[in-house]
Amino acid sequence: MTLRSRFLGTSLLVIVIALAARAQSLPQVSLNADNLSPRPIEQLTGTNITRNYSMAWHAMALALEQNRPDLLNDQFTGFAKDHLSQRIADQRRNGLRVQIIDKGHHVKALFYSLDGGAMQLLDDAQIEVQVFDGSRLIYSDDAPHRYLVLMTPGADRWYVRDLERAPDKER
Amino acid sequence: MVRGLCIYFVGLLGMGALASQSADAAALHPPPSVQAGQAFVIQTEGSGEGTFYLLGPGSAMKRTVQLGSDVSIAADEVTTAGRYQAIICAANDCTHTAFDVVSGPPARVSFFLHPSRVPVSTPNVIDGTAFVFDRYYNPVLHPAKVDFQIAPVSGAPFSRVDESERGVAWVRLGSSGKEGPLRVTADIGSAKEPRVIQQVAAEACHLRVKATPGKRGVVFETDPVRDCSGNPLPDGTIVSFTKVDASGMTTVDTPIKKGIALTELPVKGNARVTVACGVVLGNELSVAGNR
Repeated sequence: MTLRSRFLGTSLLVIVIALAARAQSLPQVSLNADNLSPRPIEQLTGTNITRNYSMAWHAMALALEQNRPDLLNDQFTGFAKDHLSQRIADQRRNGLRVQIIDKGHHVKALFYSLDGGAMQLLDDAQIEVQVFDGSRLIYSDDAPHRYLVLMTPGADRWYVRDLERAPDKER
Repeated sequence: MVRGLCIYFVGLLGMGALASQSADAAALHPPPSVQAGQAFVIQTEGSGEGTFYLLGPGSAMKRTVQLGSDVSIAADEVTTAGRYQAIICAANDCTHTAFDVVSGPPARVSFFLHPSRVPVSTPNVIDGTAFVFDRYYNPVLHPAKVDFQIAPVSGAPFSRVDESERGVAWVRLGSSGKEGPLRVTADIGSAKEPRVIQQVAAEACHLRVKATPGKRGVVFETDPVRDCSGNPLPDGTIVSFTKVDASGMTTVDTPIKKGIALTELPVKGNARVTVACGVVLGNELSVAGNR
């Protein structure tokens, strides 16, 4: 069995997960792992990354809307969790909340470490962001967003460790 | 459903308010780009009081400001890199603008070296991944040189330089021929992070067994068990002795002690004894039980 066939779709891996049971609530995420280096992605890993990243966005949207940092625990860790938790604490203190209307994510895998311990992704997200102060809408944005993401594996899932809006020059 | 409709209508009303900004609405002029951890000011236009918001990846600030004056943003309010939204609301009008807070120069490095133990003289067996951060642990997205310095237990140290891409640099190395600790340091100039892995003997090489008479049978003893580079295999490594004689086949697994493995087996008539360690097969002996 060749390495190429073993890692199905290494050269062209486009996974679109139709998450049947929770399709109504989870954002749609497609993962493209073309030319991923320095190691290819296994099909199961790609599936897990896709599912966990989708769950992470779902959790983040709920957490930012309800100002509940505890909703981040199952999908976020490290700096991403720290930053989002602080953001939510600030929102709660100032009476703000954020509503994210998620229209899907086109994710490209950029880096997969040789030991399988980290994966860097670039996410072209179609999301609409609305910010409310109390009941007043103070900000609305429907432009495309690009995020640089670092995910690391845990015992039974991949966690979002860093989630950063990519600067304009990255576009 | 009802809640969703409420949000929808609130959103429509809010967007209506946003769309109805008057010509003299407050305006914001942040710098196009700010370095993380650096104070700056955002100029505002208009008159009267307004509410200023600054929303970033790790913060959500709200304060009352005087329109037409500068809004000072302290250094510790923008330590997280990413896209920030500055919003100002006066009366029923809100206006907003975005700017980037970019990471500062490389100041910290996180380094992962894998695995913790490797056999000697094996190519491409050590993986190192370095993540480059600024002083606030923001990934440094512009290329930065990472010098991977390798110091084996014997022999001259050497280095491999890689340029980080979007904050990540990596290296793949082979192990050296001598067992012992291997120190690899990721150095970005302003910070360095050392890691040590253990190089251990590889598979046994030239495994040989000899036989001598014992009290209850024949004693089978290996020569000192070493790999092909001459490194002794660690004590505890299992060596298997297999004997085939008139009574059938017997296998005994015994750990290496003080560099050698030995066992004593009863032998009936002529016997053939082989020795193996891991995937390596040693020599074969023919012995007679009456000798």
